[in-house]
Amino acid sequence: MLKRTIPLLITALAGAILIVAYFSPATTNWGEVVTDWMNTLAAVAFILGGGNLLFVNLEKISSRRAGWAYAAVTLLAFVVTLTFGIFKIGAVPNPQFPATPWAGDYESVRAPFGWVYEYVLSPLTATMFAMLAFYVASAAFRAFRAKNIEAILLLGTAFVILLGRTAAAGILTGWIPVDGPFAILRLDTLAVNIMQYVSTAGTRAVMMGIALGIAATSLRLILGLDRSYLVSD
Amino acid sequence: MARLIHSSSLAYAFGFLATMLWQTPRTQGAMEVAPPPVIQLTAADKPGDDGRAIVLHWASAEGAPQILLSRTLGDEENTSLVREIRIAAAAAALAAGATPEAAEQAATDAEQAMSTNHELGWKFIGVASGTEGRLGFEVTDLPAAANGFRFRAIASRDGAQSAATETAASVVTEIAPLFASRIPLMVAVIVLTALIGWSVWMACRVRAPQLRKIAALNAIDEAVGRATEMGRSVLFVPGIQDMTDIQTVAGLTVLSRVARTTAEYDATLEVPTTRSLVMTAARETVQAAHFAVHRPESYRADLINYVTDEQFGYVAYVAGKMVREKPAACFYMGAFYAESLLFAETGNSVGAIQISGTAEPSQLPFFVAACDYTLIGEEFFAASAYLSGEPAQLGSIRGQDLGKLLAAACIVIGTLLATIGAFAPDGSAASAASWLVGALG
Amino acid sequence: MSRPRLVWFALFILGGIGLAYNAFVRPHGMAQVFVERSEKTYIEAEIAPPIGAPKGEKPTTKWLASGDPALADGTAVAVPDQARVVVTKTDNVAPRIARERIANGEAAVSLSIIDSIGLWIAAFFTLAIFSFLWRDNPVYKFAESILVGVSAAYWMTLGFWATLVPNLFAKLAPETVKAWSMPSLPVDADGSLTPFFLALVPLILGLMLLMRLSPKGGWISVWPLAFIIGTTAGLKFVAFIEGDLMAQASNTITPLVALQDGQLQLGDSFGNVVLLVGVLSVLTYFFFSIEYKGRLGTMVGKVSRVGIWYLMITFGAAFGLTVMGRITLLSQRLEFLFGDWLWIIDPANVR
Repeated sequence: MLKRTIPLLITALAGAILIVAYFSPATTNWGEVVTDWMNTLAAVAFILGGGNLLFVNLEKISSRRAGWAYAAVTLLAFVVTLTFGIFKIGAVPNPQFPATPWAGDYESVRAPFGWVYEYVLSPLTATMFAMLAFYVASAAFRAFRAKNIEAILLLGTAFVILLGRTAAAGILTGWIPVDGPFAILRLDTLAVNIMQYVSTAGTRAVMMGIALGIAATSLRLILGLDRSYLVSD
Repeated sequence: MARLIHSSSLAYAFGFLATMLWQTPRTQGAMEVAPPPVIQLTAADKPGDDGRAIVLHWASAEGAPQILLSRTLGDEENTSLVREIRIAAAAAALAAGATPEAAEQAATDAEQAMSTNHELGWKFIGVASGTEGRLGFEVTDLPAAANGFRFRAIASRDGAQSAATETAASVVTEIAPLFASRIPLMVAVIVLTALIGWSVWMACRVRAPQLRKIAALNAIDEAVGRATEMGRSVLFVPGIQDMTDIQTVAGLTVLSRVARTTAEYDATLEVPTTRSLVMTAARETVQAAHFAVHRPESYRADLINYVTDEQFGYVAYVAGKMVREKPAACFYMGAFYAESLLFAETGNSVGAIQISGTAEPSQLPFFVAACDYTLIGEEFFAASAYLSGEPAQLGSIRGQDLGKLLAAACIVIGTLLATIGAFAPDGSAASAASWLVGALG
Repeated sequence: MSRPRLVWFALFILGGIGLAYNAFVRPHGMAQVFVERSEKTYIEAEIAPPIGAPKGEKPTTKWLASGDPALADGTAVAVPDQARVVVTKTDNVAPRIARERIANGEAAVSLSIIDSIGLWIAAFFTLAIFSFLWRDNPVYKFAESILVGVSAAYWMTLGFWATLVPNLFAKLAPETVKAWSMPSLPVDADGSLTPFFLALVPLILGLMLLMRLSPKGGWISVWPLAFIIGTTAGLKFVAFIEGDLMAQASNTITPLVALQDGQLQLGDSFGNVVLLVGVLSVLTYFFFSIEYKGRLGTMVGKVSRVGIWYLMITFGAAFGLTVMGRITLLSQRLEFLFGDWLWIIDPANVR
C-alpha cells in the first residue's frame, strides 16, 4: 500500500491535475510553480549526489583500490572548489552593497571560485567539446565503410550540405547556369532544396512521432500501466 | 537635487508633448488634409482568455489612413504618473524660487488639477491600419485596472491627424474559466486519451496487437548475453537531463528491462548518472527489477553512482571508464546533446555492442552513424511498452498509431482542401483549409 | 625503460625544449596577463524622497561611490557612524598597452602572477584532454579526476547560491536572508517581508527523498519520485501535443500546387509533393501495430522503407550542418594554445 498504491496515486493525480490545469487561466501557471519546485528539489538532492561522490571516492581511497590516487585528486578538487564557492571565499564585494560580504560576487575571475572556473573548468570542458571535431571525422569514416544504401544516403547528404554551404560549392558547380534546366545540380541550390523539402519532411514527421510517443508514455505513467520504478509487493 | 528635477520634468514635458502630438488635429501644410475622424469605436473584453486583452472595432474613412490608438492607464501606471506630476510641479516651483512648503502645495495642486485634465493619463498603444478596425484589433498584455480601460483612436494620413474619437464607457476585462484558444488542444488531448484508453481496453479484453519488429529491442538480450559470456560489464547511460525530461523517465523504463536481463544472467550493470535525482530513480528502478526476477540479493547500489552535473565532466568520466573497463554492451537511452558522439565513438573504439535511443532530433544522426542499433524518436518511447510485453502496454502502442493515423488524415484532408483552395481562394475549400490550419496551430 | 614511458619522456623533453625556445624567441615572452588595480571608496548614504513626492514615501539608503554628485549636491547624505568601505577593482589590460604604461611608470598596472599561472594551468589541461586522442594515460586520468571534482562542486555551488538561497531560504525566512546575503531582495509595499510557505513543498519532498539514506524509511523516498514522474508526464503530455504534434501538422498543410500570378511553379509544386510524401512515409515508418506481413503489411513495409530514406537524408543534412561548428570549436582551442598561451599568433596585435 505505502510502497505501491500511494505512489501510483500520487503519479496519477499529479499528472492529471497538471493536464487539466493548463486549460484554465486561473490555474495555467501551476506548471511553472511545479517546475520551480522541481528545480529546488534537484538542488536539495545534491546532498544525495554529493554524499555519493564523497562516499564512492573515500571508499576507493580507504580500500586502496586501483586508481585510488585519482579518487583522492577528485575528492580534493571537489572539497576545495565547494569550499571556495559555498563560503564565497575571496568574493569580490558587490558595489551596491560593499558592506555585506555574503552578497559578494564569487563567480568573478578575481575570486578563487571564478578563477577555478576560468582556468580549470572552462578549458577542460571546452577541450572535451572540441574533441568532437575528431570524432565527427571518425564517425563519418566508420559510416562510409558500412556500404549500404542508408549509409550512402546519410553521408552523401552530409557531404552535399557541407560543400553546398562553403566556397567549394562555387568552385565545383558554379559554372552551371542559375536559371538553366540543370540549376538543381548546383551544390548550393541542391543543399537548399534538400533542407527545404526532404529534411523538413523528415524532421516534421520525427517531431510528430516523438510528440505522440511522449503522450503515450505520459498516459502509461499516469494510468499506472508503466510502474517500472516501483518495487512490486 | 537639480538632476532629479531635471529628469522628471523632462519626462513630464515629453509625455505631455507626446500626448498633444496625437491629440491635436494638425492641419498645417497645404497638401496635408486631415482625414475624417474614426467612427463607431467600440471596445469589448476578449472572451475566453486570462483577462488581459480587449478587442477594438471601428470604422474609418476610405484610403486606409493609419489609426493611432491609445488607452487609459492601469492602476500602477496611474500611481507613478501622479508621482511624476507631483515631483515635476514641485521642482518647477522650487526653480521659480518658491519655499519647500510652497513647492509641496504646488505638487498637491498639480495632482488635483490632473483629475480634471482629460488630456492627461493616456498611453499610446500602437498604430493600426484602417482594415484592422473591421476585423478587430486586439490590445494585449493589459495591466490591472480596477475601473477598466477607455480607448481613443485618431486617424492619420500623411502626417495630418483627425480629431480624437473615444469609447463611450470603460471596459473591464474578465478572466474566463477556460482558455477558448486551447479548446482545439483540449479536444486533441481528449481524443488521444480516448484512443489510447480504448486500445488498452481492447488489448486487455480482446487481444494484444501484433507489432512489427524493432531490431534494436531484439538486440538488448543478445548484447547482455554477450557481456555475460565475455565476463564484461554492461554500461547504461540514462542521458544527461534530470527527471523533468520525459526522455529520462523513458530511459529508466528501458533500464528496468535491461536490469532484469542482467539480473537473470548475473551480469554486472553499471549506471553512472549526471543528476542526483536520476541516481535515486535509477537505484529504485534497478532494485525493483532485481525484486521482479526474485534476485534481490544480487542488487548492488554502489554500481549506480552520481558523477557530476557537468555535461563534459560526465563524458570525460564515462569515456575514461569505457576505455579502462571495456564494457561489452553500452546503452545510451535518454536525452543527449553534443556528447552523444563522444560516447558512441569511444564505445566503438572498445568494441562494445551499442544500442541507443533518444528523441533529441539533433543527436539522432550521430547515434545512427556510430551505434549498432538506434531507437529513433518515437521508437524510443514505444520501447518500454514493447519490452514489458504486457497486453495493456502493447495496446497503448496501438492507440499511439491511431493518433498518427488521425494526424496523417488531418494533413491529407487539409492539403487537399488547400490545393483546391489555391485555385479558388474565395471558395469554401480555402476557408475550410485555413480553419483547419488555425485550429491545429 | 618501457615503451610508453619512453614515449612520455621524449614528449616531455621535446615539449620543454619547444617551450623554452618559444619563450626565448618571443621578444616579450609568452603567457602573461596584465591587470590594472584601482581603489574606490563607497559611502552609505540616505536619499530623502524628492519634494512633492506623495505623502508617506520613506527615505532610501544606498551605497554610493565617494565621488558621486548626489553626495556633493546634498540629495544624498552620508549615514553617520557608518564606516567607509574601500573596494579594489581589477581589470585586464592588453600586454602591449600594459608594457607601455609600466614603462611610463604607472604603478597601478602590473603583471598578474595568479592569472599568468592560470594560463599555464589552462594550457596544461587543454593538452591533457587532447592526449586522450592518443590513448588513455595518467595525464588524462588526472585531468578527468580534476574535471569531475571541480565540476560537481561548481554545479552544487550554483545550486546552493542560485537556487536554494533565492527559491527556498529567501521565501521561508526573507528577513534573515535579506540581511545575510540578498540585500537586494525586494520588500512588500508596506516595507516588510512576508514568508511564502508554499516553498515548503519542495523542502518536504526533498526531506522525504533523503529518507533513502536511512535504513528503514527508504520506502517513503518513492513518493517524491512518484510526484516528479507524475508532474513530468502531465506537463510534457500537453506541451508536446500542442507544440509539436498539432503545430507540425498545421505547418504541413499547404497547397500542393504553387501558383504565382496564376502561373504554375513546377519546382515549388514538386517540392511540396516531395515534402508531403516525406511526412506521410516517415509517419508510416513509425507505425508499429502492423507487422510487415500479408498484402497490407508488405505495402506498409515498402512505404516505411521510403520513410527510412527520408530519415537518412534528414540525418545526413544535420550531420553536414554540424561539422563546421565542431571544427570551429577545435580552432578556438588551438587559438587559445597558440595565441593566449604561446603568443605565436596575434591577429589583433595586442601582445
